[in-house]
Amino acid sequence: MLPSPYQTLEHSMVTKRRDWGAIGFLLPALIVYLSVIVIPVFYSFFISLFDWNGIRDMKFVGFGNYKTLFTNDPIFIISIKNNLIWIVLTLLLTMTVALMLAVILNKQFHGRTFFRGFFYFPSVIAPIAVSIIWRWIYEPNFGFINQLAQTLGSDFTQTWLSNPKTSLYAIFAANLWAVVGQSMILFLAGLQTVSVDALEAATIDGAGAVKRFIHITIPYMRETFIIVFATLIIAGMKVFDIVMGLTAGGPNNSTEMLSTYMYSQSFRYNNVGMGTTVACIMVLIMLFIIVPYISFTAKEQ
Amino acid sequence: MILAGKQQKHLFLALFYLILLVLALFWIAPMITLVLTSIKGKKEFYSGLSLFALPEKVAWKNFSEALIRGRLLTYMKNDLIISCLKVPLGIFIEAMAAYALTRLRLKHATGIFIFFLVGMMLPFQIALVPINVIYNKLNLLNTYFGLFYVYIGFGISYGILILRGFFRGIPKEMDEAAVVEGCSKWQIFIRIILPMAKPAIATLVIVDFLATWNEYLLASVIINDNAKKTVPVGLMTFVGEHGTDYGLLCAGVLISVIPVLVVYLIFQRHFVEGMSGALKA
Repeated sequence: MLPSPYQTLEHSMVTKRRDWGAIGFLLPALIVYLSVIVIPVFYSFFISLFDWNGIRDMKFVGFGNYKTLFTNDPIFIISIKNNLIWIVLTLLLTMTVALMLAVILNKQFHGRTFFRGFFYFPSVIAPIAVSIIWRWIYEPNFGFINQLAQTLGSDFTQTWLSNPKTSLYAIFAANLWAVVGQSMILFLAGLQTVSVDALEAATIDGAGAVKRFIHITIPYMRETFIIVFATLIIAGMKVFDIVMGLTAGGPNNSTEMLSTYMYSQSFRYNNVGMGTTVACIMVLIMLFIIVPYISFTAKEQ
Repeated sequence: MILAGKQQKHLFLALFYLILLVLALFWIAPMITLVLTSIKGKKEFYSGLSLFALPEKVAWKNFSEALIRGRLLTYMKNDLIISCLKVPLGIFIEAMAAYALTRLRLKHATGIFIFFLVGMMLPFQIALVPINVIYNKLNLLNTYFGLFYVYIGFGISYGILILRGFFRGIPKEMDEAAVVEGCSKWQIFIRIILPMAKPAIATLVIVDFLATWNEYLLASVIINDNAKKTVPVGLMTFVGEHGTDYGLLCAGVLISVIPVLVVYLIFQRHFVEGMSGALKA
């Protein structure tokens, strides 16, 4: 076999020059990536070792901030708990509703394309805009939910957002409305990978719709489930805008998330050292969850 | 219960449409509320007119007030400038990197790729304080450059993931033929790889535009000058200024959603396909 011209050319060049060409193409992305992400990550870790108000007098405290957060900061513990509740709720509810929608919208019927677009649309609206819409829906006097209850003849009213018992779930419901389309799309794509032959064979063997779904569709969608799982967990750790727009962590810190707590510590109370420590803990938790996923993605590629 | 096959099928179909109808009602209610509220004036609002009733006269004033007094026009202009800078520049440098990772001889190409991927899972929070400190020193707070530079940084991981996947699917024979004709690496990149990657680039443009247009956290930390704010940050300011005037607020939100709706409707089909394509890549 003749060597391809590509190889001949490569062989004729000095190794060093070859590498430099590649690095030249990589360089702009590398510079931006290093300056926006890599360096700030290390800088954040450095700051987290200090007691600092953001202006002057950085006082080195070692891992003191970490210790304080875990042993002597009830709001931090609430935040971690809320993030966990949030993740559990997304995995139970968001995933179920998304899968249900995907299965329905995978059937052949008139208007299918329209409905796909319709359910996906809320996820292209800015989360801040979503939060303003829902702030209005939850409004205790004139808002949609309470007015609907009145129209239906009930005198039921509820202050959804300012009641610490309901506020987190109220935010979650608003978020479910906004993001379910994303997982739905992923599931729809996954459903296309299910073998039609296998489904037909099962039908001939007398398997009902439910049985076919459990024994054929779900195993075929293994990869899709892993991807949806991972994206939902990442999103659950990062959730910020919608909480900020609806309650900003209140009332009484009952809806505080790691992300909002980091924000208020750093930019509202000027506990920059402490806020940065929260950010570092967020990253550590995410590394722990995500490294297996990244290695999976890289292998698949 | 034993049902004849045909009956069972009808029952199943009825149930199917019922579920779809209920879900659709849940999903459309907030949108209808938004529109109905935005066209009501203050007077009708507090006169006890039901939320679900139409007003006698459409309160166009809400929209003009939101645009001018609420400064939404300014916010949209700023957001458009930032997005138009971020999206093409970001995609170009991501494509260059993806080209190096897939087409050029590079040691540890997989390692470098994973190094870039890590950025995808990092929350913006990890960079907030350092960027604030550095930008403060460099006088980059309240500048367009400061904001879109950070956006490019945080978009790199996803862009490289998508483009690298796509470039790998472009047959190597294409480049080889170009090498024979004496094209340089740069020419191959510009004349062959980029044009062939149009579908992937189109998907990225839409995803990137929406993400940039909608981003709140970084923009709220980097920009606090009313004249430079983007739409989400501006909307929060707007809420702060007109907290309970829901007619005006809803008009503002509706206006801010219109550009996104237009982009979405134009690219909808492509978008849904692109998203699933990205999954398979």
